[in-house]
Amino acid sequence: MKNYELLARAFPKRVVSNQLFRVMKVTTFLLLIGCLHLSAASWSQTVTLNAKGQSLKQVFESIEKQTGYWVVYSDQLINRSKPITINAKDMALTRFLEQVLKPQSLTYSIEGKNILVMSSVDRTPIHRSKLTRVADVVSIPLQQRVVKGRVSDQDGNPLQSVTITQKNTQNVALTDDEGNYQINTHGDDVVLVFTMVGYANDEQVVGNRSTIDVILTESESGLDEVVVVGFGKQKKEDLIGAVVSANVSDLRKTSSSNMTTMLAGNIAGMISYQRSGEPGEDNADFFIRGVTTFGYKKDPLILIDGIEVTRTDLARMQPDDIANFSIMKDATSTAVYGARGANGVISITTKEGAEGSIRISVRAENAFTMPTRNIELADPITYMILGNEAVQTRDPLGATPYLKSKIDNTIKGTNKYVYPATDWYNEMFNDYATVQRLNLNASGGGKVARYYLAATANQDNGNLKVDKRSNFNNNVRLRNYSFRSNININLTKTTEAALRLNGNFDDYTGPINGGAEVYRQVMNANPVLFPPYFQPDEANAETLWVLFGNYGDDANYINPYAEMVRGYKDYSRSKIDAQFELTQNLSFLTEGLSVRGLFNTSRYSYFDVQRFYNPYYYSVGFYDRLGDNYTLMPLNELTGTDYLGYDEGDKQVSSSTYIEIMGNYNRTFAERHSISGMLVYTLRNELTGNAGDLQLSLPHRNVGLSGRATYSFMSKYFGEFNFGYNGSERFHESHRWGFFPSVGVAWTVSKEDFWNVDAVSNLKFRATYGLVGNDAIGSDYDRFYYLSRTDMNSAARSGRFGIPGSYYSLTGVQVTRNANKDITWEIARKTNIGLELGLFGKFSLEADYFREYRTNILMDRASIPSTMGLQSVERANVGEASAQGVDGSIDYATTLGPDVWIKARANFTYATSKFLVYEEPNYAQEYRKHTGYPLSQQWGLIAERLFIDDAEVLNSPLQQYGEYLAGDIKYSDVSGDGKISDEDKVPIGFPTDPEIIYGFGISSGYKNVDFSCFFQGSARSSFWIDPVATSPFVNDKQLLRAYADSYWSEDNRDIYALWPRLSSTNIANNTQRSTWFMQDGSFLRLKSVEIGYTLPIPFMQKIGLDNARFYLNGTNLFAFSRFKLWDVEMGGNGLGYPIQKSYNAGISVSF
Amino acid sequence: MKNRTLKCLLVGLLGMFNACNYLDVVPDNIATIDNAFVNRTMAEKFLFTCYSYMPAHADPNAQAFLIADEFWCPYPQYSNYFWNVPFQEIARGNQGVVSPTLDYWNGLKGGKPMFVALRDCNLFLERMNGDIPGLQEYEKKRWVAEVKFLKAYYHYWLLRMYGPIPLIKENLPISAGVAEVQVYREPVDDCFDYIVSLLNEAVPDLPLIIDNEATENGRATQPMALAIKAKVLVEAASPLFNGNPDYASFKRNDGVQYFNQSYDAGKWEKAALACRNAIDTCHLAGFALHYYQPGITENLPPEMVTQMSIRTSVTEGNYDINNEVVWNNSMNNSGTMQWRSTPYLAQSFTATTMMFQPTLGPPLKIAEMFYTDNGVPMDEDQEWELNGQYKDRYSVKTATEDDKYNISVGYQTAMMHFNREPRFYANLSFDGNLWYGISNFNVDNQWVIRGKVSDYGGKVNGFYYSVTGYYPKKLVNYKNVASSNSYSRVEYNWPVIRLADLYLLCSEAANEAYGPSHEDAYRWIDLVRERAGLEGVETAWSKYASIPFKTKPTTKEGFRDIVQQERLIELANEGHRYWEIRRWKRGREIWHNQPIQGWDIEQNETETFYRVRTVFTPQFSTRDYFWPIRESDLFVNTNLDQNPGW
Repeated sequence: MKNYELLARAFPKRVVSNQLFRVMKVTTFLLLIGCLHLSAASWSQTVTLNAKGQSLKQVFESIEKQTGYWVVYSDQLINRSKPITINAKDMALTRFLEQVLKPQSLTYSIEGKNILVMSSVDRTPIHRSKLTRVADVVSIPLQQRVVKGRVSDQDGNPLQSVTITQKNTQNVALTDDEGNYQINTHGDDVVLVFTMVGYANDEQVVGNRSTIDVILTESESGLDEVVVVGFGKQKKEDLIGAVVSANVSDLRKTSSSNMTTMLAGNIAGMISYQRSGEPGEDNADFFIRGVTTFGYKKDPLILIDGIEVTRTDLARMQPDDIANFSIMKDATSTAVYGARGANGVISITTKEGAEGSIRISVRAENAFTMPTRNIELADPITYMILGNEAVQTRDPLGATPYLKSKIDNTIKGTNKYVYPATDWYNEMFNDYATVQRLNLNASGGGKVARYYLAATANQDNGNLKVDKRSNFNNNVRLRNYSFRSNININLTKTTEAALRLNGNFDDYTGPINGGAEVYRQVMNANPVLFPPYFQPDEANAETLWVLFGNYGDDANYINPYAEMVRGYKDYSRSKIDAQFELTQNLSFLTEGLSVRGLFNTSRYSYFDVQRFYNPYYYSVGFYDRLGDNYTLMPLNELTGTDYLGYDEGDKQVSSSTYIEIMGNYNRTFAERHSISGMLVYTLRNELTGNAGDLQLSLPHRNVGLSGRATYSFMSKYFGEFNFGYNGSERFHESHRWGFFPSVGVAWTVSKEDFWNVDAVSNLKFRATYGLVGNDAIGSDYDRFYYLSRTDMNSAARSGRFGIPGSYYSLTGVQVTRNANKDITWEIARKTNIGLELGLFGKFSLEADYFREYRTNILMDRASIPSTMGLQSVERANVGEASAQGVDGSIDYATTLGPDVWIKARANFTYATSKFLVYEEPNYAQEYRKHTGYPLSQQWGLIAERLFIDDAEVLNSPLQQYGEYLAGDIKYSDVSGDGKISDEDKVPIGFPTDPEIIYGFGISSGYKNVDFSCFFQGSARSSFWIDPVATSPFVNDKQLLRAYADSYWSEDNRDIYALWPRLSSTNIANNTQRSTWFMQDGSFLRLKSVEIGYTLPIPFMQKIGLDNARFYLNGTNLFAFSRFKLWDVEMGGNGLGYPIQKSYNAGISVSF
Repeated sequence: MKNRTLKCLLVGLLGMFNACNYLDVVPDNIATIDNAFVNRTMAEKFLFTCYSYMPAHADPNAQAFLIADEFWCPYPQYSNYFWNVPFQEIARGNQGVVSPTLDYWNGLKGGKPMFVALRDCNLFLERMNGDIPGLQEYEKKRWVAEVKFLKAYYHYWLLRMYGPIPLIKENLPISAGVAEVQVYREPVDDCFDYIVSLLNEAVPDLPLIIDNEATENGRATQPMALAIKAKVLVEAASPLFNGNPDYASFKRNDGVQYFNQSYDAGKWEKAALACRNAIDTCHLAGFALHYYQPGITENLPPEMVTQMSIRTSVTEGNYDINNEVVWNNSMNNSGTMQWRSTPYLAQSFTATTMMFQPTLGPPLKIAEMFYTDNGVPMDEDQEWELNGQYKDRYSVKTATEDDKYNISVGYQTAMMHFNREPRFYANLSFDGNLWYGISNFNVDNQWVIRGKVSDYGGKVNGFYYSVTGYYPKKLVNYKNVASSNSYSRVEYNWPVIRLADLYLLCSEAANEAYGPSHEDAYRWIDLVRERAGLEGVETAWSKYASIPFKTKPTTKEGFRDIVQQERLIELANEGHRYWEIRRWKRGREIWHNQPIQGWDIEQNETETFYRVRTVFTPQFSTRDYFWPIRESDLFVNTNLDQNPGW
């Protein structure tokens, strides 16, 4: 049966169908013969032949004459056969065949009255399309019966070219374009086996059924899966490097308009976390196998259809448009991207059209989003009481900010405008927001041209309230449109042209300073000084504008509500990619040779505009307690406006062009030696229109020559060599070019002849080693290290002379960087050892161990004292770091009975890094040195507890961070020198980047219903509550309820309270990085749950649909974590725009 | 070369472009340091660059002169509404080694990067050895001399703060090895010698006077260089640096002692000579003590003219009018200082928030430091002793017609505010005080400062008020204009050195070197007193002092005391006090034992307002004489030693 699959793969689909039908005919005959219970034994024929130098063909003819069997073979198979000499007398047919065929590396099988001749290497009767003859026997089937049905995938999409085989027979059928099939079965207890590349096999007992619909589940471990590798594709079976493909349909189950948020826990080898939930600003951070450099660029190279793009471009990618999503992790897979590949590569290819009638898919979704967790603040009364305490506990002379009468009246609720107690969260934020998504794509094509067209419109709304009196929308609303057109045309039989156009556009409206700033302002807004706005008093009954609340003569408090509704910002972001590709097959020169040229250009533009008025602020001027009337006092009559003002923001324009010329060679010799070669020349140029500086305005350029050579022997032994030879404009001539070679080997043990463990269907070992480079070692600003950077008009260095009012002044000269010609590439040496294991055809495991040694990391020289008087920090490629870890995935897929399928998957990434060489002062204390610690390790003081009293303060080592009293944090004097300073900072906690990311989930289906859920987790990371951002009362900052519940006070000297002694100013002693505010960043969350229902096929066919599926899913529904103040994934950014959970309903239809 | 050709060939073979040139995106004429010396115009910019590191003498947010007990500010400070005053942290004892406030070693936390400045100065001097097209030889000499002066001053600035410092005589190359860059701090005597030698080299090529005031006022002159030399030598002879036993055990890792351990009187002789030399050169250049010339319409009584002479000797920046300022820092003027010093002058101004931002509050001890109108200290004045005014100085008294130019007639204020010397009224303002100038030139109807809590001159808001009840009047230019809702300040270049400063230095040095009988001892101090409307030292003490003090000026110790107080009075509010007290090694005595006090400004009634309120009690220990070096600097350069006590 396998043979047919291979056959199907060997030809493009449109060719296959014809060929297949011919094959099927043959097969059917063979099967019919089988049914007659004729066997070789029963014929017991013998052969007599005395041949000398006869051709195989002549020998076959003799057999046919003597025995009545038909010998079935392909011309190609026997063309190369050697002449035969044999002397047989009444030799048994089987023995005769063995003697004749074995020296020719051929074997046979007798099927009915046919002798099938095939290669003994892989037992494949290759090129069966060229079969010359077929036994001409007419027979009558027994118990014949027709079974029909439809095969689809989990999402209900029909699958074409699925092979349906009657088990233990050669009876085969294929599905058509609509996934329908029909097979004639014979005999009792018929079992049908459904097989398809990339899907788990499915067996169905026919019983009495005449219609069997089958849903195949995708298998990630399908050996025949095709994986996108650098500048090409490889069969997964042949893969040597560590490359994984993300399962796109799983990604889709996370309801998010941002692709980057779907990655965490879904892909082995990827470390990812999301810190903000604001539409448009919610890109997750992600790193492949963690971070191994402390240089500038740490994140991976992202390619869409071979073109380098930004994280935002990836974020806006639609899962529906993705044909393949590959992550390249090791040296052999990334070396060809020499200049950029050191941090790993994410490569996405988009879908292309296939020949066939038009197929249209529509997906529509509507989601409700809300914060996973809201920050809880103390109530206004507590705020005032503790606010008074904060002043007096530090300075008994200090004036308390809140009078007792104010507190009493607020408790009584005397007048909510005069004695406000504002719940800013409630005033400003809605409980939920909505998101709409619509995706539409159409594909199809004919013999000459094929197309894939897609259009997407997403609208993500924020949860900010809009004032009813405003006539504009200040809420966050991000509309994203994207269009994609992929067209492939066969210009000649051997020439294919492809044109890909892609446009991606954001239209954003939102608060002036962004949603995160709105959240931050709430944290900085006093809850009791003023209400968001006043009801008009008598004098203002006719006032046209909103009477916003504020305080003090100069109205310089933050009224977050006024700040939020006073205006809006529009931004518009456009990214257009156009790509033209021409592939020429050069088989006429030599078989397997082709060349490809690609030209791409991208244009990017961004601008924003803000429109706003300056709110009129009021405070209560006079309050008539008896009449409960107040008179408002305007605070900023002169500066307020009720008409809109205008401000222009950033404008960014940039363009890039990319040219790629590639030659490819692919050939198999003597059935067993497969070789391939690839050589690619690339050239990239990027320009920015508003760089703002001469050096920044110069183009970014890369030139590279990369290549790959692979060899495999009988698909058992594999070898591969890759290289990248790259140049970058960043370096001085003498260091401009880098050569990055890599090698890899693999061995598929399960293909060995000696391997006879049936349970282990696949066992393969892989190993690679190589070098990869990184040229983005300093910020753009620091691009040309070999040039000094001299500011000839530095305002900071200006001088002036003369008398006030008439000065003579000149700007000065400042050298901000000294030239250094030696700065060059950062180099990664990557080792990867991998294992693939398949069990029972249902269970597969992949695991990789990796090591990386990164050298030439650019870093500051620490040995230069300030007495040198240099204005710039000198730098050199002296840093070294290493990383190691494992990543892996386990997949399991099975069916339980005819209607139930189950698939489970899990993946795991553990990546840890280490400083090897880090230039720093020669500290007396070993623990201060970075060497040996993870790259995102934090150093801080060890907080013992809070000081009990002032006597203890006096009798403890002096803490060098400004004033402190009883109730402030007491630190350990680790160095033992009698004072607490930076010398006492030791490595604390885990690194800030998580070392472990994992995910696991299950999907299953019963008849038309499917269900899946997915958990994602993160472990071994620490983060710090920002003691400055959460300091209550400092500049009217809000008081977190958790702090109000647990703080040190003179009356309640809780030395382990969460918050130290209150203060109305920042106490630098308490805001040092220390163990006091350290938190465990690990969590496990239910990332997604989905339930779907696919309409029954007969019904769909009646209404003319191929497929219709309804689904509900939820994202980020809950999380387990020890940290409760905010969503733990936000880490130290907890006061920003919260991460959202969402409930989503969707429908996808195709016809 | 062969290698490169190969590379280009290899890559170029496939490319449409010549790959090697393709990567050469940088145009040839990117600016480098060489561009800074291509001609005179560019070189002048570099000269200005060398000047640009001048400490911001007049910036209350970044300057060191407020670290002492001269002013006190509301605390804590709210950054949203207020300014950030690092000096307060030092005064309150919150200085630390991790991130020192006013770090001039690294240019952090309010300090300027002095070593960067020295590197630029050296670079300039190196380049001046070459030919600069368009630059005349005489001008080049002057520029070199100016930069040498700056180099000396920047070294001096570091020396005064840190004690022993590395001397940056020449620049080390960027590629210098680790051993080479780990420089040592040099003994203080070597530092003083080097600074003096630089000044000696600079003086001959500097101009005696600035010809073109409009474009060059503020650039180095001979009087400036000689005045700084005098200050440097006085500093070297002063107790902090001259045989200071506190630092006996402070040694380098190679055994070199940082501080000389034997007192050398000869240093005072050198200092006296330098002072005298500086004064002579100043006189030659036309400098003289400033006397106010009232306008014809002003109608000022003589005591007000004296007061205005004292005020305008600081605030009058125009050389044609005030030729007392030897060095004014044109890089940094007084706008902010004036704003922080002016109280609300009348009820009508309070309608505009932050029109005035009075936050600098001189403590009570500063008010008490000034002499009585007899020219002797309050506690040494016989008259005050006899009539009980000294004993009852905190009780109140009603102003009469006699006080009409200083205190609002009929107003009740503290007894110690009456019968004080003109410099008291010129320097400070207080509850009931009258303020001449600022859009009001009617001497009989001056602004009245009303400082009770709910009055306009008091604590009108939580951020801008004087915590002591005093305001530094001398820093505020009488020419400032206050309209109904705006306060525009007429700025003046900050006077770094006034002639009066030099006079008093000369008296001090002469006394230390030769005793009060030396001709220079009384002569110069008496000139300063004369301008302040006071009689000479000998006369004043013998006429007005109580019995035990009558002969005070005749002994070296007595006269030392007098000169020191005279300096603190004459130079009050100008940022000298902190450095002077350190130089005399009187820090513990003055700072440790004298709390910061003021009137009870939270009160509304006269009786309760005039209660002495302690605002803060400073702690001062020996280590506070010098700045801590930032801890991280010691890690990088292990040859550096931290200052003792830090």
